[in-house]
This record gives sequence, structure tokens and C-alpha cells, in this order.
Amino acid sequence: MADEMSNSEYTSADLKHLSDREHVRERFGMYIGDNTSRGLHHLVYEVVDNSIDECMANYAKHVGVTVNVDGSVTVEDDGRGIPVDRHPQLSEEMERDVSTLEGVMTVLKFGGKFEKGAYQTSGGLHGVGVTVVNFLSEWCEVEVSREGHVWQQEYQRGEPTGPVRKMGTTARTGTKTTFKPDPQIFPQTKFSWDILSRRLRELAFLNSGVRITFADAATGSSEEYFYERGVEEFVEHLNKASDPIHSDVITIKGAGDGVTWDIALQYTGEYTESLHSYVNNISTTEGGTHVSGFRSALTRALNAYGKKSGIYKDLVPTGDDIREGLTAVISVRVPHPQFEGQTKTKLGNGEVEGIINSAVGDFLSKYLEEHPKSARAIIQKGVLAAEAREAAKKAKALLRERKGALSGGGLPGKLRDCTSRDVEKCELYLVEGDSAGGSAEGGRHREYQAILPLRGKIINAYKSRDDKVLANEEVRSVISAIGAGIGEEADLSKRRYDKVVIMTDADVDGSHIRTLLLTFFYRQMYRLVAEGHVYVAQPPLFRVRSKKQVYYVQTEEEMKNQLLDQGLGEGVFFPGDGREIAGDEMQKLCRTLSGLEDALLALERRGISLRDHAARRDSATGKLPLYHVYYGLEERWFTSRDDLEAFVKTKEQAAGGELQMGRAEEAAAAGDPTPGTAPGTGVDQLVVIDLHEVRSINAGLKELEAMGFDAEALMPQDRTGREEARYTLRRGENEIGLEDLRGLLTAVRRAGEKGLSITRFKGLGEMNAEELRETTLDPANRTLLRVTMTDAAAADDLFRVLMGEKVEPRREFIERHALDVKNLDV
Amino acid sequence: MPQCPVCDAPVDLEKTPTVPFCSDRCRLIDLGRWLDESYAVPDVKKPDADEADGE
Repeated sequence: MADEMSNSEYTSADLKHLSDREHVRERFGMYIGDNTSRGLHHLVYEVVDNSIDECMANYAKHVGVTVNVDGSVTVEDDGRGIPVDRHPQLSEEMERDVSTLEGVMTVLKFGGKFEKGAYQTSGGLHGVGVTVVNFLSEWCEVEVSREGHVWQQEYQRGEPTGPVRKMGTTARTGTKTTFKPDPQIFPQTKFSWDILSRRLRELAFLNSGVRITFADAATGSSEEYFYERGVEEFVEHLNKASDPIHSDVITIKGAGDGVTWDIALQYTGEYTESLHSYVNNISTTEGGTHVSGFRSALTRALNAYGKKSGIYKDLVPTGDDIREGLTAVISVRVPHPQFEGQTKTKLGNGEVEGIINSAVGDFLSKYLEEHPKSARAIIQKGVLAAEAREAAKKAKALLRERKGALSGGGLPGKLRDCTSRDVEKCELYLVEGDSAGGSAEGGRHREYQAILPLRGKIINAYKSRDDKVLANEEVRSVISAIGAGIGEEADLSKRRYDKVVIMTDADVDGSHIRTLLLTFFYRQMYRLVAEGHVYVAQPPLFRVRSKKQVYYVQTEEEMKNQLLDQGLGEGVFFPGDGREIAGDEMQKLCRTLSGLEDALLALERRGISLRDHAARRDSATGKLPLYHVYYGLEERWFTSRDDLEAFVKTKEQAAGGELQMGRAEEAAAAGDPTPGTAPGTGVDQLVVIDLHEVRSINAGLKELEAMGFDAEALMPQDRTGREEARYTLRRGENEIGLEDLRGLLTAVRRAGEKGLSITRFKGLGEMNAEELRETTLDPANRTLLRVTMTDAAAADDLFRVLMGEKVEPRREFIERHALDVKNLDV
Repeated sequence: MPQCPVCDAPVDLEKTPTVPFCSDRCRLIDLGRWLDESYAVPDVKKPDADEADGE
């Protein structure tokens, strides 16, 4: 270094002492960052910050900002006004009379912010504030209203053009600064409405109670920002386009150890975090100790509550999970902020972290206890985020595994693949149970039919109930056997089969497994279903052996009808009134009774006996009531919509408006003895139970009437000591006594069973390979139902009920439907 | 409108690329649940205990 120096002259003339003004103008970057739009707008913020300080110190209420027609900006407040009297220290240093105002405007590091008492915490950039603005302006003018007078001073590029002048009298106080940025410094000097309005609005949010007006003289537009609830309203503003998951904005305010905090937060359905942090009104985009204190307290409080309340099962959300959907504004005031980071927007004060952490932690723990509904919503959001993260990991592993599997030809071990590779002809049977899988393997068409046995895995998720799931391995087997992938990577053209056939037992359990599989396909292999590649096999429910042959019957209904036809034969029915019913008439009677059978069972399942219901019949039309209605303490029955409507009209008039509707299912499910009053509130509500089956009953009764029977014929009669039966069925030599018409069907069917050996298959496993081939696998004889989108969507709906989080409704649903296997079929 | 199976948001089946889910994220969560064996239906083969214990 000395060598380099020795080559050039180094004298005092090479050194110069830059004045404050020169230094700022030459090195503006050190003071305002740069001379781009960012630096330009910074000038306004510096001046506004001084006014906000006056507001925060409770001396001012109002700040006005106007962009003037000539491109200058006026910032005005109703604070105390900058002192205008002689400043002794300054006057002594400069050896002339200098006012405080002139000092503020023209001397760096001169200002109230260095006296701890003047402003507790200030946002102005380290006291350079308005001086820098003045130095970087082509011209600047300050007008101070104070002590009953208006005072004024003007500057050109930072230098006073004259002394502080007394202009006149006034009753008000305040400071009004107008400046025009110097085009010698700023290549572009036009202010942006959007940038300024955003920052001014932000300041109004951060400083509740401060009224900021903003006007553009050129366009005549003006806005006012005033937020009494401050950061709480800031969060509402940020969330106005999102859906909050809890209605209240959580606010945390307080002060301690010289630090004050003002924090607001709310969760929305979004997946990202929106966190805005400020220290002394300065945006800390890089965060810092206040943000880290807040974050760790949030995670700690929510996780503690999640564990305690049992919402967390095995998955505990991380901090990132917890912050999904979080909108938060953190505003702290710190006496001596230290800024770090690349853009000096990161708070470095270590003590702030602990202060904010314990303040937020204490508040949130209490809040969560007191607001369990919001707490649950927030925590479940975090759980979902954790789940998404875990699921993504698993799905990635699965895809990696599959890629490896494809090259290594690793098909599931349990798959009995077909030999052909002609996709259009190939079929995959997903078979419930290993033993059925074995039969299917034996009975399949080896070239085109592949078999994958699946078994529902029993788990014990709830104390008192066993549940059934598709084991992880089974899910993966299905995916890799089909070969078309899932989700984003799905490619239907890669499928290995044209038909995927679900084959389950014809019982409730089988239908549950079918529902599981259909739901899985609908959700994860939507295209496969949409393009009609998914089928449901129709294995028979009965095997019927007669002397001559063996045949199979698929449904209960079909079996009943066959037995009825067989049993009718030569039967003669004696209704006890001298008539003999046989042949076509007998057939008609049995068909009518058969039609009534299910409807009557359905009615009785509601706990309504035919006898009671028949007593309620409409005397004019003979019809049985279709609607069971509760309102308040009233219970009514109506045979037509018109009657029902008339009733509702009367009640509406009495109530003076529309009636509150209750849900019949809920009332029934809850076993509510007074369904006509809303649970909890006790308000009168209208509950209408539509007895659908009565439509069939009414139709059936009408047909019976035409044949000379009334409803009483269907009911057993009280014994009156009579020895002979009420009705008689004669078949050849045999006579069977019957107590009511319903018994006729049973008797006829029983007759139909004669000479037949009927086996009801309890499951696919009871069929041997040959039987399975004949009935379910062989394309020549089988029936396949193609699953439509409607079917699959219905399966998804049913599935949601079956596995719903709420155990109770699910149990009722199952209990209600377990009796009626047909309803679980899709 | 049908609802997303995971988050219950309404899903337009015609226009949503991730049908029947609202987003790929929800589809992924669902897949994770299948792989986790957390989708269960009641096992009804044997009459189970909770029907016996009444309420």
C-alpha cells in the first residue's frame, strides 16, 4: 500500500470535509437506499413518520398528505409544531442565531428523537428524517403554527433562502411541509398514487386512531384512512378475499420491559402464510426476533392444546403446518431497534424474542381454552396441513416404488395375471376373500382374466366396534395391477386391463367392501370410472336344484317370484265367503299381495302397525295417511299434500310467518319424544315424515278391494273360539288354514319349494370354481354391471356416511340400513 | 354442487382438473389416508358389541 501511495502526491488538498448537505446529496444511498421510485417515495414516508410520531405521542390526531399539481408533496399535521425559537447549543456552534426549526431542517442528527423523553419509540430513520428530505428537494417550505403565530422558512436544495419569518396569527398548531424532489437526484420524480396510498393505509392500520387523508390535487381524488381497531382491521382487510375459518380476529395487545406489541391474527382456508411485521411502523420484511418469538409461541400454544384436547392422533403439525392459512400482523415498538439483514429489515434485538414469545404464548393458551370452536377449527387446519405434507411424502415414495416396479416387472404377489397382453380383451377381477380368490382362479378364463384377491383388514379404531379398511398393501396392489397410475401421473393408456370387475359377497359386508373400492376408484382413478372401465360382478345368491337341473338365482326378489310362480300351480283359495279363487284370479291376488309385502314391512319397520294406520284412513277416500306431521306438541296425519298444506297455512297464520322446518331423520335418530320442538331452543318446528311406502299400500289395498278384500283381511283377527281357520288354501290333497291374507303368500311360496333344493350362498367362497365360472366369470353367462359416474358418486356419498367422523349418525345409518341390504347396494 | 371429499369445498366436476377434489393437494391428502388405512367402514359380519350395549 505504501508503494502505491508513494507514486502519487498525497496532500491536504486531496481531502475534503463534506458538509451534511453535500454528503447526503452525494451519498443519498446511505440515507434513502437509492434514487429509484423506492427512494423517491421514501421522502414522503420520512415526513409522514414525523407527523405520526406527533400522533403517537398524543399531540396530533390528523395527518394530511397531498400530491400537488406541480409534483410537490404537502404533509400536514395538527401537532405541536416544530419549535421556532433560538436554539442555544446550535447557535453557539454556528456562531449565529439559529432557530430549532432551521436546525431540524438543515442539520443531520439533530432532533427530538435523540432525547429519550421526547418520543418513546419513533419510526423516523435514525433521526435523519426531514433533513434528508430537505437536502434532496429542489425546494422545500415549512410552515409551523405555534404559540399563536404562523412561522415559515424556505429552502433551496437544502439551504435556507431566508430566515424564519413570522407570517401572522393563528389559533391552531401544527407543521406543514411541502417539498419537491430534486430532479438532479431523482431521474423520475412522479409519485405513484398506489404506492403512497398503500403505505398511508398501512400506517393508519398500525396507528389506530390516527386519521390520514390522502389527496391528489391533479385528479381531485382523495381518500381517508382511519381505523379505530387498528391491526385487527388490518387483518380483516387482508382477509377480505379469503374465507376465514373462525369468525373472530384474535388480537394481542400489551406492553412490558419498554416494548409494546399489537398483534392480530386470523386463519383462512388458504394454504399460504400471510405475515406482516413491523417495528416502530417500519416494515420488517426479513422478520427478526419479534417474528420468531411470535412463531414459536404460536406453535407451542396450538400444539399443547391439540395434544390436550385429543385432536392430535399420531401426527403432530410442524410450525410450517401450523402457519398454513395464517394471516397475522405483528406490530411492535422498541426503543432502540437494531436492524440487520441484507435490506436492514430484520429486527435484531434479542430481548424482544422472549418478551413477545411469553406474551403471545400466555394469551393464546387462554384464548384456546375459552374459544374451543375456533381452537378446533385452527388446529384441524394444522392437522390437515401436516397430513398433506405426510401424504405428499408417501405418494412420492409410492410413485418411486412404482417406477422401480415397472422396470423390474414387480406386479403384486397375490395377482394371478392373465396370459394375454391384449389390453382390450383383458379383465381384472378384484375378488373379496382369499377362498373366493382361489375358486375364481380355478374358474377363470386364464388367457384373458386376471384375479386379485382382496381382503378387508379388520382394525379396532373405536373401542366397541371393529372397522374394516383396505390394507395399505391392497391399495398398492390394486394401483400397480391396473397399471394406469394415479393422480397427476395417471395415464389411462397404460392400463393393463379393459375391464376392472369388482366381485364381492352379496351381503352387507360385501357391499361395504364394494363401496370402499368404488370410492377409491372414483377419487383416485376418476378417468377409469368416467370412461366406463369399472364393473360390478353379479354373483348369484341362490343355487336351486330340481330333479331335472341346477340353476342360479341372483336376487332375493327374483327367488321369491319364482317360488310364487311354482307354488301357484293348482292351488285354490277359499276366502270363507263361499268364493273359490284359482287360476288367473289367484295369480293376480298373489301378485298384489307380493307388491304389498315389502311396503307393509317398511311401514312396520317405522313402528307403525297396519291396524293402527288403517284406523287413520280418510273416511271419504279410504286412503291411508301419507304424511306424519309434528308441529309443537301436535301430531297429525294427512292423506294428501293439499291437506298438509292447508294445515301449514293455518299454522303460518298463527305464527305470523314461515314455519321453522325440523329434519325428520334427525328427530327420529335422536329418539326425540317431541320432534315438534327444536332441540335445545324449544322453538316450535314443523317435521314432516313422508311415508313413501303408503303409496304402494294404498294402491295395493285398492286392488284388493276390487277383488273383494279390505284391509282387515291383511290383519290377524282375535280368536273367538272358532275352530275352523278364517281362510283356507287347498293344493291337491292338502288344505292349509290361514289367519290372514299375508299368510297366503308364505304358504304359496312354501308350496313352490316342493321338489327343489335351494341353497343360499353366504359368500362367494361357498361356490366352487366350476360354479363361479358358470355364473360369474364366463362372459357367455355372467351379468356385469358397468359402473356409471352416478353410481360411483353415490358410492362416495355412502362412504362418507359410513366412515363419517361422527360415530353416532353412522351407527344409526347402519342400523337402519342393515335390515335392508338393497339400500346398501350400488 | 358436489363437495371436495377432503375439505368440503364445492367442486365443479366439469371444470376442475383434479376431480373429484378441489385441488391436487386434497387429492394427495386422500391418497395418504388410503395408504394410511384410515378410511374404514364398519365390519358387520359378526353382530358387534356396540349394538348390544344400547345407547
